[in-house]
Amino acid sequence: MSDAQEKILHSYIPHTLSITRSHVFFNTPMSFSDPRPEEETEALRHPDSSRYFSSDQSVIRIEHLTKTFRDKQRTVKAVDDITFEVKRGEIFGLLGPNGAGKSTLIRILTTLLSPSSGTAFVGEYEITRDPEKIRGIIGVCPQNSTLDNELTAYDNLEFYGKLEDVDDRILPDRIWELLAMVGLTDRAHMMVQTFSGGMKRKLEIVRAFIHRPLILFLDEPTIGLDPESRREVWQQIETLNAENTTIILTTHYMDEAEKLCGRIAFVDRGRLISLDTMDNLRLLLPAGDLIEIGFDHMDERVLPAIREQHLVISAEVKDQKLLITAKNRNTILPAIFAVFERYSVTMNAISIRSPSLEDVFIYLTGKNLSDSGGSEGTQGGRGRS
Amino acid sequence: MIKGAIAIFKRDFKKFLGNPFVIIFTLLMPIMYLVIFGNAMGGTISHVSIAIVQEEPYDDSALPFTAFIDNLKHQAAVDYPPTFDIAIYTDELKAKRALQNGVVSGVLVLPSPNFRDRAMRLYVDSSDSVTPSIIISGVNTALVQSGTHTRVEINKIYGDIKYIQFFGVGVIVMAIFMTTMMGGGIALIKDREMGIIEGYFVTPVKRSSIIMGTIASGTVRAFLSGFVIFVVDLLITGILIQSTQDFFMVLLVLFITSIGITSFMVSMASRFSNQQEYASMSAFFNLILFMTSGAFYPVIGMPDWLRWITIINPEYYAVHALRSIILRGQGIEVIGMDLIALCIFSFAAIMLGIATYRRTLE
Repeated sequence: MSDAQEKILHSYIPHTLSITRSHVFFNTPMSFSDPRPEEETEALRHPDSSRYFSSDQSVIRIEHLTKTFRDKQRTVKAVDDITFEVKRGEIFGLLGPNGAGKSTLIRILTTLLSPSSGTAFVGEYEITRDPEKIRGIIGVCPQNSTLDNELTAYDNLEFYGKLEDVDDRILPDRIWELLAMVGLTDRAHMMVQTFSGGMKRKLEIVRAFIHRPLILFLDEPTIGLDPESRREVWQQIETLNAENTTIILTTHYMDEAEKLCGRIAFVDRGRLISLDTMDNLRLLLPAGDLIEIGFDHMDERVLPAIREQHLVISAEVKDQKLLITAKNRNTILPAIFAVFERYSVTMNAISIRSPSLEDVFIYLTGKNLSDSGGSEGTQGGRGRS
Repeated sequence: MIKGAIAIFKRDFKKFLGNPFVIIFTLLMPIMYLVIFGNAMGGTISHVSIAIVQEEPYDDSALPFTAFIDNLKHQAAVDYPPTFDIAIYTDELKAKRALQNGVVSGVLVLPSPNFRDRAMRLYVDSSDSVTPSIIISGVNTALVQSGTHTRVEINKIYGDIKYIQFFGVGVIVMAIFMTTMMGGGIALIKDREMGIIEGYFVTPVKRSSIIMGTIASGTVRAFLSGFVIFVVDLLITGILIQSTQDFFMVLLVLFITSIGITSFMVSMASRFSNQQEYASMSAFFNLILFMTSGAFYPVIGMPDWLRWITIINPEYYAVHALRSIILRGQGIEVIGMDLIALCIFSFAAIMLGIATYRRTLE
């Protein structure tokens, strides 16, 4: 984890009351007892098509999509038999670590890459048969900046508006409207290369919907942005969604997905691991809050004493830490403190959190979302060959 | 310090080795220089066609000066085909027209048998930098060796044309090519390299629109630079354009040439994703096309295999057309074929560009 990533994680993971923060905790697969029967979680781990093909309101339908990249040394399955649907009007989150295949999937759906096998429908059009029709109804904000730095903000929007075939009579007004939306009106005629990262990002996002697309693809829209800009971008996305635009968003920021997305698909190593609403995903985890207490020396009487508390669901010791899940942290904490005090065990750290998407992800994949490689180190497919 | 220098060296060298395309083209360049430049400039000229015609009043009997003509026919450099191809014409006007149209390089008018004391008249195409002197010296040699005693009147049909004036026309075409090398296709490659292309590939813009738009902007730039160099060339070499019609004709040729060469470079660029590769490839084509265009040296001096290249070389037609207008004051009847050839070439290049352009990231 780079410094920058860590900083971002520190500042953006909500629901976290962190007294000290340990990397070990984040990287350790959680071992809470699972209250749900094994078969049910298995279904979520290996979703089949019937489970997600329910409504006729779908605006994107992906069927057994696979994309394989080949070069001399190896073959990488960047997208591996993915099947799901996106409903009209929702904000759909595509989550996964770097190299999970999110961008490749987006590139296939936006007709930039052709699939190795499988098919997908965007709107009513099939991606390989009617790519031109699809291009007319989508707006895309790719992960890497595609603004022309040698043009002004206005020129960038105008260029894009013309390519998107926006009516010339309304184009100037539309451009000013978009510039005002991102507060760049006074910089309209300045070169984009003089803009800050946040300004560029916002300009690029509004550029993607200059033609009021039916579906908007945002690939890592807030990567590298400061907190303020992130909030502004989020607000913009919500405003757009309120105008009935379906939004597909990829991210590896948990807070972003939690805040914006109705349904979330977890992707890892090219495979769809799980797809559900935030609330349902949370149900995957043991109920209650997670309390983690670090200690130097443990008395063996502490654990039974804590398990006796009626609000405690589970408790166990691991790596010099006591991991507790409990129903009501506000009332359970004093009781736990009392137990520690009774047996004269010193705490050296404590953290309390509600289960977040990150926990779901760790639970599902056994690894941290910010890990880029994975142990085999064969994550590839950042799409361009 | 040494450690840093070694690190930089290693990095650069790795990149160099990692790009075999550039290596091949950098090596190919000097070799092509050797082969093309060496052949185009230093080639022994042969098959210079001369029209021989007898002056009026025409006499039906066999041509006089048989020994002289025989000598002319059999002149040749060692191990080379005959230097001159002799064509016998029966009409002086026709022969002169053939000279104007470039069918023959010189016209030799023999005095009528009835007026033996008249001088022999030699007409040469002075817009060509090489053949006139070869013809003149060939004729003189033949006279001496055949023991023919007669005076020779030499007429340069386009007046005295200096080499710089001959070469200057080629430079105008070079200006067009240089501009397309720098501009033209490089915008496409830059977009691809920077990833900007991903931004507009997701819009409904058509592949043909991308190619045509790029060609259009490249053409305008190439035309402007060709025009500037044309004006500079006139000032430096002191050529006068005879009429406004000629002036506009030059502009027309410059424009069609710009389209042709730009489309060619853009269609090449449509397959590249690396500026360095494109630059070495375009430098390579620049060399071949410019060397074989006849800008430096008349095409007649090239070996046959090189002359084949000129047939598909747009710069050859451009140079020929410009020379016809600027140096010879000729009109559409002469450059028409050049314009048609340039148009066919442009059309083919545009189609190739559209057909090969990748509209996906793969």
